[in-house]
Amino acid sequence: MNQATHYQAMDDSAPSELQSIIADSVERLFAEQISPQLLAHFDAGHRATALWQQVVEQGLPGALMAEEAGGSAASWLEASPVLRAVGYWSAPLPLSETMLASLLLARAGLEVPDEPITLIQTGRLGDLTLTADGQLHGRAFNVPWARSSQWAVVADGTGHVALVDLRQATVSLEAGSNFAGEERDSLHFVNARAHAIGHLQIADVQEPVWLFGALIRACMLVGALESSLDKAVNYANERAQFGKAIGKFQAVQQQLAQMAGAIGAARMATQVALRSACEAQQAEAGARSTLAFDVAVAKICAGEAATLATSVAHQVHGAIGFTHEHTLHFTTRRLWSWRDEFGSDSQWAEVLGQAAIAAGGKGFWAGLTQRQF
Amino acid sequence: MQALDIRPCQLDPKTQALRAEVREFVAEALKDYPAHERAKNWNGADPQFSRKLGERGWLGMTWPKRYGGHERSALERYVVLEELLAAGAPVNAHWIAERQSGPLLMKFSPDVLAPRLMPAIARGELLFCIGMSEPNVGSDLASVQTRAVQTEGGWIVNGSKVWTTGAHRCHYMVTLLRTGPKDASNRHAGLSQLLIDMHATGVTVRPIYNMLGEHDFNEVFLDDVFVPDDFVIGQPGDGWKQVGAELALERSGPERYLSSTQLYLEMLDAADPQNARHSVSLGRVAARYAVLRQMSLGVAGMLARGDNPATPAALVKDQGALLEQSLPDLAHDLFGGTREPGSPLDQVMRYLTQTAPSFSLRGGTREILRGIIARGLGLR
Repeated sequence: MNQATHYQAMDDSAPSELQSIIADSVERLFAEQISPQLLAHFDAGHRATALWQQVVEQGLPGALMAEEAGGSAASWLEASPVLRAVGYWSAPLPLSETMLASLLLARAGLEVPDEPITLIQTGRLGDLTLTADGQLHGRAFNVPWARSSQWAVVADGTGHVALVDLRQATVSLEAGSNFAGEERDSLHFVNARAHAIGHLQIADVQEPVWLFGALIRACMLVGALESSLDKAVNYANERAQFGKAIGKFQAVQQQLAQMAGAIGAARMATQVALRSACEAQQAEAGARSTLAFDVAVAKICAGEAATLATSVAHQVHGAIGFTHEHTLHFTTRRLWSWRDEFGSDSQWAEVLGQAAIAAGGKGFWAGLTQRQF
Repeated sequence: MQALDIRPCQLDPKTQALRAEVREFVAEALKDYPAHERAKNWNGADPQFSRKLGERGWLGMTWPKRYGGHERSALERYVVLEELLAAGAPVNAHWIAERQSGPLLMKFSPDVLAPRLMPAIARGELLFCIGMSEPNVGSDLASVQTRAVQTEGGWIVNGSKVWTTGAHRCHYMVTLLRTGPKDASNRHAGLSQLLIDMHATGVTVRPIYNMLGEHDFNEVFLDDVFVPDDFVIGQPGDGWKQVGAELALERSGPERYLSSTQLYLEMLDAADPQNARHSVSLGRVAARYAVLRQMSLGVAGMLARGDNPATPAALVKDQGALLEQSLPDLAHDLFGGTREPGSPLDQVMRYLTQTAPSFSLRGGTREILRGIIARGLGLR
């Protein structure tokens, strides 16, 4: 009330029309198609191939690509409802990975296959190396959806981006999975050849797969967090004990409020990182950006929120939430998985902490306000 | 869950120049101000410093000129606040008057008290405190016992207030009290806010020392204190509405997450970058600072747009206090048993360890805030 109404701040945070359209269509599709039966079927070892066809028909894998490359030219903010929805509805698809891979390929001027594409950052999770002329050698662990993907985008730390055919004889695969049963496979490359190699520099981003990978996981975590909160609040309002809904007990309310606080923080940090990604995307190659800082903050906040939220949501649900029949575990197992992937909260905290320590007491606040230590 | 949504707020470029100006001013004005004083953050009071801020035009920034204000944007004010607090500047002397009392007068007494008192608040000369809590009234504010009875030309007030920060140096106290009879069907009826002159006959202030032995808050006794009709804020009976509006304003500012900042700065300087335990723990805190800054700023943006973000504000305060209170424990975890006695880290830790318990009590307890959030979630 100390703000006279004529000094109104601009509301620059409202979603664009494209973002609303994308959000509506992906929500409608997933709400209709992703049933507990579909998820149980997936857990039993069956791919959601029909659902993949539907997301392809809606053009979602290419959402981030430029129109010339056959995409929707959505910005990170505009495409983010897809990532959130993958988390909210536990969509068992290589969708976020394909969206990012397609963007990186298109930006590097390489052809974009019309199929699922996975992601590998050299120097992380294994000892895979990529030479400037497109030779690949070494191992890569925890590669998302490798079995479902014929193609991989491999990025190194010096601006090379390669499109690699994973079905060539020089690549062998060992199947693995995360806690949610999503494919996380190990690949072994023995003098394999890239199908194509290009160069890509987005602002000052050094490891594009790792950094944008952390951003897409943060968005998916936020979606899954919102789902777990919705489920816990609904259950607390439905389940009656001692003659009233358990949500009327302050002990339950206090826990859910704290969970909501952590989720609010994760959501804010992710929104800020998405804006930062939009800016980095527009920036000239090599230009300073806030993206590394903002993504670190987002992945830390989302990972920490996942730790608290899984614990509270299960406590509120009681024994039923621990059964396979109840749907809570679809969300919980994804939260436990994704908080690990593309850098855990602790790994990102170490990076951010080292930078903060280097800034020191004198430089911390300036670094915080410019979002770069 | 919609009720909990905070959208990011971007500061426009002209706030950048202002930020640099404030930063330069603070660096100069506080160049010899030691770490253990900065540790007090917005608990530190220096009326001289408050006047200097007034001279710079950094108090009452958003108020109309006719009230002594400077007609600048809410976000410009936000930038000034966060710069002052991050540096640990002593802002407590004018804090309540500028943050709450001025806006309250502007809204509820725009023609009488606001033009009379706000210009001096904006100069940093007129200091206010708030009389809400009483010996038997804490979180349950509607049950205040202090009472005002109408008399010729005004009111006679009897009762007492407690935990009144700064009462010993303030000129006026905004006092919540009962002017009408209790109504069993509406607990919030019959409450009013009166402005009490701290130098009036019948006002007695007694210090309460905190566990550090420091004197910030007080008991205030009111014995047959006469308050003229002019000093009723708004209409008799409007007290509850006013308090609600006031509390929402004071929950999401940068002061709700920056109180322990000096301890974090000292830890950064004492940390070993090769020590993963140090970097991971301090990195988690850096992320908290970053996100809370965005959340606090986001709510400031909502307020500036004219929204009523009561629930998000409660969320910011709850999360902010968690950050503030985690720092003394983290200092213990990382540097307990090894820090040098008497070092800045030691002094700052000594102060903040012993004041941090109050951070989740003042301005609405953690339990009250989480109750508000739970209502926003649809649980109540």
